[in-house]
Amino acid sequence: MSVGVEIRGLSKSFGALDVVRPLDLDVEPGAFVSLVGPSGCGKSTLLRMVAGLEVPSSGSVRIGGRSPAEVRAEKRLAVVPQQPGLLPWRTVAQNARLLLEVNRRRSPAHHPDPLDLLAEVGLTDFADAYPHELSGGMQQRVALVRGFALGAPLVVMDEPFAALDEITRTEMRDLLARLLEQHPATVLFVTHSIAEAAHLSDRVLVMAPRPTSVVADVAIALPRPRTTAIEDTLAFTEVCAELRRHLHGAMR
Amino acid sequence: MNLRPAPAVRRVRSGRGRATRRWHAVAPVVGIAVFLGVWEGFVRWRDVRPFVLTAPSDIVGYLGRAPGDFASASLVTARHALVGFAIALVIALAIGAVMSASRFVERAVQPVLVLVQVAPFVAYISSVVLWLGAGDPPVHFTTALVCLPPFAFAAAAGMRGADPASRELFASVDASRVEVLWRLRLPSAMPSLFTAARYDTGLALIAAYLVEGSNFADDGLGAIGRRSAAQNLGDALWATVFCMVVLGTLALALIGLLERWLLHWHSSQRRRSRA
Repeated sequence: MSVGVEIRGLSKSFGALDVVRPLDLDVEPGAFVSLVGPSGCGKSTLLRMVAGLEVPSSGSVRIGGRSPAEVRAEKRLAVVPQQPGLLPWRTVAQNARLLLEVNRRRSPAHHPDPLDLLAEVGLTDFADAYPHELSGGMQQRVALVRGFALGAPLVVMDEPFAALDEITRTEMRDLLARLLEQHPATVLFVTHSIAEAAHLSDRVLVMAPRPTSVVADVAIALPRPRTTAIEDTLAFTEVCAELRRHLHGAMR
Repeated sequence: MNLRPAPAVRRVRSGRGRATRRWHAVAPVVGIAVFLGVWEGFVRWRDVRPFVLTAPSDIVGYLGRAPGDFASASLVTARHALVGFAIALVIALAIGAVMSASRFVERAVQPVLVLVQVAPFVAYISSVVLWLGAGDPPVHFTTALVCLPPFAFAAAAGMRGADPASRELFASVDASRVEVLWRLRLPSAMPSLFTAARYDTGLALIAAYLVEGSNFADDGLGAIGRRSAAQNLGDALWATVFCMVVLGTLALALIGLLERWLLHWHSSQRRRSRA
């Protein structure tokens, strides 16, 4: 069900400004790969090119052998943005269904039921509520459900928990890990939180800014399933320390 | 932990809140009553001639003598205003959709809309009647024309202002332009469209009234007003003014209800917090 992502010589420049230097990257099917780096290092631009929302200056992206535009047209790709971006005039349940309803003809024949997903993230009681009645964490949970409702084999997430407080963020890691066990997908995840990357990822790519390049490719060997408890283990602390070392190296 | 006092405290506060709300509900009535009282008193004290200013009591008295005539004339004017208003809204949505999709069109159309908006329509009413003939067409045309710029600007700005994160989300599933327009841009434009609608309500009624006075149809409040002005019938003239005010107030109340219903999700419609 999951697909691999193959990036070859991908670059992006805005005028004379090189945002992403030609970059090669392979993401194996079903992997959770995080891109970690300081803000403004082009990781979001990279993600947007994979999602086909930004046209690369050169190079190519293949998702399961198809171009991002094709994958997008087939609705085989789910985006979870940094801001929940819920439509204020739709209820929680209607927002959860949004991506299925838009461009409906291309919706997959089999996909998770948005109401079941809402139950999985503990929002059943809020199905008929409007977004302004929810906390920031609850809104972001709806955004997760909206993405997973497509049942897409590739999910790209652009700092989805960045706007949340620390306590809620920790909860959201757990929630996302649980969702992925039920609904496996390849995930490309942009974050600037080392703990988030270590908790969730199979692989963490540490990025250096201007222009973007990968300075370290770290496999995370922590056992699964992972819960919040894992963040208190020595192994987790060591992984974080290693990632932090690479990150400091990247910023020098 | 003893939590019992908390509800009591809340009850006291909400009780006071209710009293305040009731008091505030009376405020508009007080405002209107004082206004009418000063008006009535001024006319009686200075013995103003009816054509210059008719006392509210005389206006109501005059209306009472021929209520049917004024009611049917009011309905005609309301229909004229509503048709022009509706035509303007439909055209403005189309223009707004194109303007929000293309910077070039926006820059090309904007100055034309500004010209229409600032041109004194009172001055060219007789020309419109010459072009379109007597009766309803010049009324509908002028009313629609006058209402168009506010609606078009509101539609374009509201549609263009749709949340970028949501736009990207629609793009991520390859939504068509029509879908983005219908499911995202149009709802996003609703708050500004309602603001324009309040503004256009007054404009539509005034335009309808004025053209009714010049379209040789002897139909509507404007025709009565025009005739009364020519015959120096002050109370009849002021009776039409009274009817116009009632029409405008009803229309605004209706728009307010519609807004509460359609925009319940918008921050402007939520009960203000006391903080």
